[in-house]
Amino acid sequence: MSAIAAPSALLRFSRHELRLAWRDWAWMFSGWRNTSLRRALIGMSMFYTIMHLIAYAVLSPHLSSGFVLDHTALAMLSVTVLLSFTMMLSQAMESVTRAFYARDDLDLILSSPAPSRDLFLVRIVMMALTSWVMSALVISPFLNVAVVLGGERWLSGYAVLLAVSLTATGSGVLITLALFRMVGPQRTRLYAQILAAVVGAAFLIGMQVVAILSFGSISRFVLFDPAFLAHHAPAEGSPWWFPAHAVAGQTSAVLLFFAASVLFFAGGAWCGAVQFRRIVVSALGVTERTPRGRASGRAFRGHAPLGALVHKELTLIARDPWLVSQTLMQVLYLIPPAVMLWVSFGENTEISVIIAPVIVMAVGQLAGGLAWLTISGEDAPDLIATAPISDFTRLWAKVLSVLTLVAAIVLPMSLCMALLSVWGALVTFAGAMTAAASAILVQLWFRAQAKRTNFRRRQVASKASTLAEAAASISCAAGTALVAAGSPLALLPVVLLFTVIAISWSIRPKRSANA
Amino acid sequence: MPSASPVALDILNLHKRFSEPAVNDLSLTVRAGEFYALLGPNGAGKTTTLRMVAGLLEADAGAVRICGIDAFADPIAAKQVLAWVPDEPMVYDKLTPLEYLEFVAGLWSMEPDHARFRADTLLESFGLAPHSNERCGGFSKGMRQKVALAGALIHEPRLIILDEPLTGLDAGSARQVKKVLSGLVEQGVSIIMTTHILEVAERMADRIGIIARGKLVAEGTLEELRERASADGNSLEDIFLEIVGGDSEGGAQPGEADHLEEKVA
Repeated sequence: MSAIAAPSALLRFSRHELRLAWRDWAWMFSGWRNTSLRRALIGMSMFYTIMHLIAYAVLSPHLSSGFVLDHTALAMLSVTVLLSFTMMLSQAMESVTRAFYARDDLDLILSSPAPSRDLFLVRIVMMALTSWVMSALVISPFLNVAVVLGGERWLSGYAVLLAVSLTATGSGVLITLALFRMVGPQRTRLYAQILAAVVGAAFLIGMQVVAILSFGSISRFVLFDPAFLAHHAPAEGSPWWFPAHAVAGQTSAVLLFFAASVLFFAGGAWCGAVQFRRIVVSALGVTERTPRGRASGRAFRGHAPLGALVHKELTLIARDPWLVSQTLMQVLYLIPPAVMLWVSFGENTEISVIIAPVIVMAVGQLAGGLAWLTISGEDAPDLIATAPISDFTRLWAKVLSVLTLVAAIVLPMSLCMALLSVWGALVTFAGAMTAAASAILVQLWFRAQAKRTNFRRRQVASKASTLAEAAASISCAAGTALVAAGSPLALLPVVLLFTVIAISWSIRPKRSANA
Repeated sequence: MPSASPVALDILNLHKRFSEPAVNDLSLTVRAGEFYALLGPNGAGKTTTLRMVAGLLEADAGAVRICGIDAFADPIAAKQVLAWVPDEPMVYDKLTPLEYLEFVAGLWSMEPDHARFRADTLLESFGLAPHSNERCGGFSKGMRQKVALAGALIHEPRLIILDEPLTGLDAGSARQVKKVLSGLVEQGVSIIMTTHILEVAERMADRIGIIARGKLVAEGTLEELRERASADGNSLEDIFLEIVGGDSEGGAQPGEADHLEEKVA
């Protein structure tokens, strides 16, 4: 009987998962409005076309005059494969953890007679395919242009991309299982999410740090210098270049790479599937348990309403490791400028021109996330709304919380910079706080009450606010760099910033008195 | 002094319209020290009314006075003396009940030592003392509701607005909550509460108001309602069903509310 039931369960789960995945995508891009979905599809088509034009501009100088698979080309291809792998691994770890911990429909499915390992197998295949499709959306224009300019051998790139996706997803499963074994279900979710955030950024940041230490330049591209590669990279026949040869269409390399990744993925998926029920049951048990603090006999702090609100915001952010890991990415991007500061100490007083925009950009993005958490992400809106405090106090408390956190990150960086250049430090601090203030203003104008757990989807709620935040951060970063350099051109980004802020204000959603 | 007013809540000709009228020229009064139960079918306008009173929703027309304070003209003073407890308990998962109460006390600018004393008393009353240092994230809905209730009571409000406060509570917890609420009424605190549990309204309320399609269609003590509705049965359920006409979505049909209003006047 189970022999008959198993394939039908797989089929049923596949149909169910496909439907859920499609609806999730439709919601992500359109918020369930047909007109928005149409606009999203048109927008994506335009994006895809523009990507082809960019790919042509990048690849035509290399491919039109005959492609040579030298050290630099091998390094470029390998870095692309590794970068894709780290991004997919980060995404896979996030998805696998969610598959184990998110309650959603697991109560229903685990209490049904349907084999739960089939559900995991279906979900893990969906994860691998989704990750393949998402990365193909960005990489395929380059592959298509390469096929047109350099021949059909570049079609192998699609197979390599799928192989990378399978390897990353399989690795994601195995790493999560290993974490379960090592640290237990209580801590696995947190560790996996932090690891996912770090893995996603580590490779790019690592390249930047190596570039700084080797060349004193923050640009990663200096690492592709032929002289540097001749000294530091493996010989051209080395197995390290195997994935690069596969991308370039070497048949044996493609077949071997693909077969190995399928086997690795199958092994990982099977390990996950057989342990799925046991892990889910222990993971669900964890969510029922409550962290217990020390019995407290202390007196209450005599906070005024403003102080109470700020203290609450800071406590909630500090106690939510998931949110911290989600915002960690922006902080990680501050590592390269910090290394550069350290390397250049006492040697280069003009370094602020290079570092300042990186800091300002990262802080702008970080402030956007924090501002959403404090301004829109309120779990007890009725309590705050019925408290005897003015609207100004209510909003000022939230703004103050974000500024406090941002200042805590920017101040140490600025103080270090002040040892090199006081002017550079002042400009960086002012630029970062302006970027933070802009992000806060955008979040205030586009605020929409939501649970803090919806943080991941905050950018879906309003694409306009996301674009405005990014444009304001870029303007601030450019302005800061130009002011630090003493260029009168700094006026241009300042005008752009005011324009972005003015446009955001004019298109802000109309707020009813009941909101 | 607001608490000196003999009327705790005075709603006058309140109107609210969404796509169609939700609250339609509603007037009612809750006296100081009175337990008032507001009943009505789903969608009758009970929660909309209470949200307007609590300042969570702006009225299209009408007036609300809380302990003598014009709630629309001086909302901060009105909020100082009221407490609102929604049906869905809103507490912070990452705070312990004690920290939550400390936060609420700060919002109402309470004196710290008195707030701590009140917090301990309330946590004890609701049976939450053993869990006072556990984070609320792992609490059941009933426990979260009790934390929210403790938060509503810590600043010693003169008027408590409760929207389905017993939803999700087990029998023991419901009894604890009812005991605390009865004690508050004895101390002179006024309560207006919506509920679908008619037995609670029957046993606890001094007066009962029945609302249908945004209008108050009946009001009085249980005895008065029994007489006015000429119900055959004795229970509030029989009276309620007769007055709202057995309509479970929005109450009486259009025009019917006016007729019923005349009937019980």
